[in-house]
Amino acid sequence: MAEFKPKIVVFACNWCTYAALDLAGTSRMKYPANFRVIKVMCSGRVDPQFVLEAFKQGADGVIVAGCHPGDCHYVNGNMKTLRRMTMLKKMLEEMGIEKERFRLEWISAAEATKWVQVANEMVEQVKALGPLKPRLEVRE
Amino acid sequence: MKVSEEIRIGVYICHCGLNIAGVVNVKEVVEYVKTLPNVVVAKDYVFMCSAPGQAMIKEDIKKHKLNRVVVAACSPSMHEPTFRGVLSDAGLNPYLFEMANIREHCSWVHPDDKEAATEKAKELVRMAVAKARLLEPLEKIKSAVRPAVLVIGGGVAGLRATLDLIERGFDVYLVEKRSVLGGNAVKLGELAYTTLTGKDVVNSLVEKIKDNPKAHIFLNSEVEKVDGSIGDFKVTVVRRLEEGKEEKIELNAGAIIVAIGYDPYEPAIGEYGYKTTDKVVTLFQLMDILSEDGPTKGELLIGGIRPKSLAFILCVGSLSTTPNAKPYCSRMCCSASLKTILKIKEKYPDIDVYVFYKDMRTYGKEEDLYWKAIENEVKFIRFDEAPSVKPRDKFVEVEAFDTTIQERIAIPVDAVVLANGMVPAADIEKIRVMLKIGCGADGFLKEAHLKLRPVEALTDGIFLAGVATGPKNIIESVASGSAAAAKAATIVTKEEIEVEPLIARVNEDVCSGCGVCAALCPYEAITIEVKEDGKRISKVNSMLCKGCGTCAAACPSGAMQQSGFKDNQVMAQVVAAFRGE
Amino acid sequence: MKPVLVVGGGIAGIQASLDLADQGVKVYLVEKTPSIGGRMAQLDKTFPTLDCSSCILTPKMVAVDRHENIELITYAEVKEITGEPGNFKVKVLKKPRYVDVDKCTGCGECVMKCPVKVPNEFNLGMDMRKAIYIPFPQAVPLKATIDPEHCLYFTKGVCRVCERFCPPKAINFNQKPEEVELNVAAIIIATGFSLDDARKKETYGYGVYSNVYTNLEFERLLSSTGPTKGEVVRRSDGKHPKKIAFIQCVCSRDELTNKYCSAICCMASTKEAILAKEHLPDVECTIFFMDVRAFGKGYQEFFERAEREFNIRYVRSKPAKIEEDPKTKNLIITYEDTTSTKYVREEFDMVILAVGVRPIPLEGVLKLDEYNFAEIKEPYIDPVATPKEGIFVIGMLSGPKDIPDSVTQASAAAMRASILAARG
Repeated sequence: MAEFKPKIVVFACNWCTYAALDLAGTSRMKYPANFRVIKVMCSGRVDPQFVLEAFKQGADGVIVAGCHPGDCHYVNGNMKTLRRMTMLKKMLEEMGIEKERFRLEWISAAEATKWVQVANEMVEQVKALGPLKPRLEVRE
Repeated sequence: MKVSEEIRIGVYICHCGLNIAGVVNVKEVVEYVKTLPNVVVAKDYVFMCSAPGQAMIKEDIKKHKLNRVVVAACSPSMHEPTFRGVLSDAGLNPYLFEMANIREHCSWVHPDDKEAATEKAKELVRMAVAKARLLEPLEKIKSAVRPAVLVIGGGVAGLRATLDLIERGFDVYLVEKRSVLGGNAVKLGELAYTTLTGKDVVNSLVEKIKDNPKAHIFLNSEVEKVDGSIGDFKVTVVRRLEEGKEEKIELNAGAIIVAIGYDPYEPAIGEYGYKTTDKVVTLFQLMDILSEDGPTKGELLIGGIRPKSLAFILCVGSLSTTPNAKPYCSRMCCSASLKTILKIKEKYPDIDVYVFYKDMRTYGKEEDLYWKAIENEVKFIRFDEAPSVKPRDKFVEVEAFDTTIQERIAIPVDAVVLANGMVPAADIEKIRVMLKIGCGADGFLKEAHLKLRPVEALTDGIFLAGVATGPKNIIESVASGSAAAAKAATIVTKEEIEVEPLIARVNEDVCSGCGVCAALCPYEAITIEVKEDGKRISKVNSMLCKGCGTCAAACPSGAMQQSGFKDNQVMAQVVAAFRGE
Repeated sequence: MKPVLVVGGGIAGIQASLDLADQGVKVYLVEKTPSIGGRMAQLDKTFPTLDCSSCILTPKMVAVDRHENIELITYAEVKEITGEPGNFKVKVLKKPRYVDVDKCTGCGECVMKCPVKVPNEFNLGMDMRKAIYIPFPQAVPLKATIDPEHCLYFTKGVCRVCERFCPPKAINFNQKPEEVELNVAAIIIATGFSLDDARKKETYGYGVYSNVYTNLEFERLLSSTGPTKGEVVRRSDGKHPKKIAFIQCVCSRDELTNKYCSAICCMASTKEAILAKEHLPDVECTIFFMDVRAFGKGYQEFFERAEREFNIRYVRSKPAKIEEDPKTKNLIITYEDTTSTKYVREEFDMVILAVGVRPIPLEGVLKLDEYNFAEIKEPYIDPVATPKEGIFVIGMLSGPKDIPDSVTQASAAAMRASILAARG
């Protein structure tokens, strides 16, 4: 059986997390290649529908990441993210999606090390869980 | 844009020298991209951002009638504006452009797994192409510019910036929290290679400013609130009056310069004997003592006596020399210490001076201070471990392991000077949160780019001068004041500027006027209007909207969308992460 | 609004030009060589961010080219400056490229066909260019230039192959130098620096031992656009080095050559050692230093990272001499580690000398010190203004400094000059 290579979608906010990923790059830090990053200006842009769509399409894991509370470039976009994602987590659980597959993280532009940590942890955890099953089917 | 217009996408994969091509198989990515729907051109080149790279895109736009362009290269934070400019030059709307980050997010972080990096690059490009397909032309939003600049902080950097801008013909609002201008420079005594004191420098700048009608100086004042954006910042200043009263002043500025300075590092009680004896002072205290208008009228008296021997300990509060110390180098202390020593030796040639140092950082032409110190028989003792300071009865003993002679030595001196460094100003957190700018790991304000944009904040229209971004000496602070002024001038010399159009927009046909969006907006940019027929509609003020997209995420009907980050555009990227169309 | 002259197209000159142009001031940017870019174009990466130097520089070069307010005059020299602030008259001599720049597309056909090989200045003589050449692939302007000192037509009256093969027929051997006179309100001088001659330090054997290089030469070796396409190999045998030594303060902090500190070399060597390890993970790098001038923002962290993550070995020592093993061409360094009082002879494959910087002054207009650094009238109040009102100096010309300080000074001078320009 081929080795399970999880694919994890990351919604990263432009000012903090995306910049941290850039910093990890300029610092030549190494982490697994399982991530596909989608940039948004603020984590507050992330509609829970995006997360559900990602799982539906085949994501084995999803990360929504933004600035630390209090540091949001747009004042408090991340606080709305926090509320939405907290509710979403409950929903995902009820759908049978293991809680390790979805993470809400606060990663500031200077925290490239934290990103690498999160990345390594997430890949390990998702690998241990195996591919997402059952496939999520949401009526169009 | 006509609905039936055929989408023709040009995709360009950059090698970035070997930065990308050394890991990602660029040719393979190009071949793959050619198979994607709507891609009419797919090429690779060694440096897409260079003149020939840019020319290639321009030519292809014309030759192949491209109406969307994707560049797979470094982070968009590097070159998105560059490539948008290329599209403009070629007559294509600059917002019909998308980048795939296959360097910082790919080749640079997966150097050991070239296969996985190449597969990832292909998918990242596929995602960018999927979004590009759905991009729409956007027009920049024009904003009238207020021809005035707000300068926060009246130290040497803020003063220089103010002077430059008023000479250039602009109104400057200079807000200073203390009751006098000059900041920390006024207590530095005589500066190196001159008889000018810090106070002289300040006075020289203030003289040229104070009577100029374009300079509006607010002492005892602090900025309380900043709204608006580049070209039109709305600022609330609070001025402290007598008898505890306050005055609120509303100002309007096109650009803001933050020059809030620093605080000298304050050693902890007991750190190198600080505050356990009056024979230990900091360098900043010493410079004040040597000032003519200092506590001893310029006489070298420490603990009430003229010391016959002095020990300087460098890197106090810097280079992690003690648990409290900051990890960074405070840049000016080696030079400031030696300058002070040379001034002391000039006035009191018989004083023995010992300098305990970890690394001597008299960089550039300041090396001359080191040569002169040696000529003046200053004795240098190098340490790795921080020296210990033991106050004795009539003297102070400084003990250290001298790495040059590989022996522990103890030197009795009459007084010890701790060369303390610079730390971020106490109110830096309050100011940066108010302006929504960031700090680096060292606690100082973060510039847009360390090498090429040292006086710009990431937020448009806000500039950073002086030690607010990191330790520097007076000459460097003053230069950065002028530099920040130059940047502010590029804004206020224009009658109007253009703002990025990646903001929220309402589809009025779909909007039900529920008001969820208006409640969420942190800038109060959304209002609910009632139309003539009684229909409630959401309205976005495009000047106040900053483009976070929070309203769009909450909108239950999909009426509120963020240009450039519309639901269908983001969804297309999600889908494309897993499959081609 | 009157125009301003910027002399020197390195990063400082480029930044000053852009800042002025963005204020609506017309700028003449005069550059002596055929392309702008200066030293930064020769760097692989910049410290401490390890940004790709070309990647952050070339967009600014292109912005200069595209800006409607900047008139770029390359391959030209300032010959005379007279007049006063607000009304300087500058004579500029445009050297003939013998190529019609309006026709030349930078296609490079001529370069391929030219039979003459000349040591390539851009790669510090480590490879060859042709007598007709484009200095580097991202040159701005991207035009060919004929070097009359080596061109067969100019030296021997023969060849003219480039002319035959040039598609747009841009070759013109009859071009003459052209003198123009500019009338400007202010002048910003940013003529930059070169490295001192490392041969002055005879005991280090530069120019005699094959495997001793300068910082800048090593930078070219590291670059993917360099003479070895980024392969770090030795001059003597083309092999990868296993042990590289960097020696700091060569012709700096030195009574016999230059007493000042060149400010950038500690960080440059740290950066190059890290890059060497990226190219060759098993290579051992040792830096012999007097003091680590890690004074700038992020520098101390960079230096500590070099030690910690990349195992760069720092030895506090100024080596006494270098000898060469005649068979292997390895270098044997004799030094005393001043933190251990040990006296050592150690063998290395390759030695990089961090050679001190020397400013390149503009003749005639500036008051210079013994090292050719330009004097500033009131450094604490106007750090970019020379004793001659209206003439400013930025970058290395007033003292050794790094890129952020040069760029800051560039913007500062742009501000100061714009006031004179606006007086019109």
